[in-house]
Amino acid sequence: MALPKRIIKETERLMAEPVPGISAVPHEDNLRYFDVKIHGPSQSPYEGGVFKLELFLPDDYPMTPPKIRFLTKIYHPNIDKLGRICLDVLKSNWSPALQIRTILLSIQALLGAPNPDDPLANDVAQDWKTDEKAAIQTARDWTSKYAAPE
Amino acid sequence: MKFAHLYQESLQKDGFPPDWVASAISYRQLKKCIKRVETELSSMGLDADTLNLLLKSVEEQHTKHDAQVDEEEDEKPFRYQFRSQDLNNENGDKEQGTSNGARFLPKLLFAVDEETGEPLDASLTPETKREFHVLALSQQLTDVRILDITDDPARRSSFVGSFDSATSDMSDAEKRPHRRHSRPVRMVEVPLTSDSEFFGMLQDQLSGLAKLQAEQNVKMESEVKELGQLVTKVTDPSQGKKKNDLAQWRKIFELYLESRVFFSTNEQDHGAHDSEKAEKNLRRFSEELENQKLLTKFKKPESKEALDRFISLNLEILQNLRFQDINRLAMAKILKKFDKRTALGVKKTFPSTIHTSPLTTSVAKAICYQLSTELLPIVPALDDYLCPVCFSISYKPIRLLCNHIFCIRCLVIMQRARENHCPLCRGEVVMQADSRNLDQDLIEYMKKWFPKEVRSKQHENERAAARDEFGENYDKCVLM
Ligand SMILES: [Zn+2]
Ligand SMILES: [Zn+2]
Repeated sequence: MALPKRIIKETERLMAEPVPGISAVPHEDNLRYFDVKIHGPSQSPYEGGVFKLELFLPDDYPMTPPKIRFLTKIYHPNIDKLGRICLDVLKSNWSPALQIRTILLSIQALLGAPNPDDPLANDVAQDWKTDEKAAIQTARDWTSKYAAPE
Repeated sequence: MKFAHLYQESLQKDGFPPDWVASAISYRQLKKCIKRVETELSSMGLDADTLNLLLKSVEEQHTKHDAQVDEEEDEKPFRYQFRSQDLNNENGDKEQGTSNGARFLPKLLFAVDEETGEPLDASLTPETKREFHVLALSQQLTDVRILDITDDPARRSSFVGSFDSATSDMSDAEKRPHRRHSRPVRMVEVPLTSDSEFFGMLQDQLSGLAKLQAEQNVKMESEVKELGQLVTKVTDPSQGKKKNDLAQWRKIFELYLESRVFFSTNEQDHGAHDSEKAEKNLRRFSEELENQKLLTKFKKPESKEALDRFISLNLEILQNLRFQDINRLAMAKILKKFDKRTALGVKKTFPSTIHTSPLTTSVAKAICYQLSTELLPIVPALDDYLCPVCFSISYKPIRLLCNHIFCIRCLVIMQRARENHCPLCRGEVVMQADSRNLDQDLIEYMKKWFPKEVRSKQHENERAAARDEFGENYDKCVLM
């Protein structure tokens, strides 16, 4: 099936006007599959890190949300060991008017504002609640260990 | 290369009209005038070195005593300030425009002892001091006695230190020859003529620039209006699609907006561009017009003329931007030179109200704004009529109860997925929509202004509907 106009336009715009701190490049052999890199927001424990993600647009996109997963290991209460992300706009709050760029911006914002009250990674969220300082330090350590820029 | 030379060269070679060149800041003339100021000041013993020394010694005193740094003007040995003079006052007519209204006159004031009229600054030569003294007397300090100004060098050098009113220890004060502490200070005006000449000249040139800008603004404004009429004519869809250049002009304006010639809306670099960047963007726009061979696709001969005018209007904006840039630079340089040669510190004190208006108010910005609000909207942009779900023209347009508009195809898909929420506002309005939600006026408008896009979308919709009915193989059958 040919690539819908919507996906072509979104890709074009992502290339022409990239979002600061975010890149998304489609695979040449599968234009629905993107390599994503997100820079950790400043003032967050992820600052200085570059996080890799994979993003896939299912057949019925944009009626259903893109599938996204962190490939880089990250210590975050809303991201689990497999890199799955707990973010409402990726699930129940998805709307077909949302786009790849808006979703990636939401994920970047989630790095800047971890929410242990709505966890996916339960143990991390627990750490976060019992000793936030230590949890933030762990997040920093993981960032320099796993997300160092190439 | 010297700035004077570079400046002259770019004024001559950058293709500015002769009347612009005549109105430009005359750097050379002003520079010559600075020389006269320099000579005049030197003749009074107030050359830049002397004044700088004076300023420095006062500063040092401040830091040495570590007193609360009192920034009061009175602490300075001299002041150079501008006083506004309303030329229209004589007629009692204050409402006149500012271009020739308020003028600023420079004034050099020196601190003297209020009682004796003696200058407070030691590093001045005896002749200068004597001169000031006389000045002070003539300027209504009539009750002071003229003291013998001593030539004792020991006394002279200690004067500088004692100028600072913050008291130091007694022994130090005793060594000093007396009386400075907390004695009232009075400022005496030192009459200069060449500096008034300099600033008069500069202000004349600035108001000349302001006048030129105003003329340019009026001229370009009417050019945009005329061009608008022309574009309206060549894109008029009621003449039938074979007889207008609507699609071509839409493409031209799209390319123009993408080129962001003068201003950027990009997330990464926003705001106004300098003239160099604008020139590059404009060249890229022209090249893109070439590449897309838009000029050969015109059906109306007037379109060619309109495009030529559009380009030259942009070049005109660019020239205005460049002319302003170069004058602003000349202005900054000449004030810097003035300060270097006189130590009077005008870069800080020269009233910004005078030079900000013609050097920063942007005619380019005003005309660009007019372009984007009057000219470009003559051709409706496709971006304003896209369906937020499929990103193609929202034809046929369904207006939901919440007033958000989607193409009928996307509505069908949403309803089939039992998705009741409007994608834009999440209002529960999708399932209840039916053919009564078709916006008939918008349908007519789209057919008129986007005939090509409507036809191709209609074709897509029909194929998709057929695919729904006959399955995925439907496409292949058509192709065979
Ligand atoms: Zn649509
Ligand atoms: Zn809505």
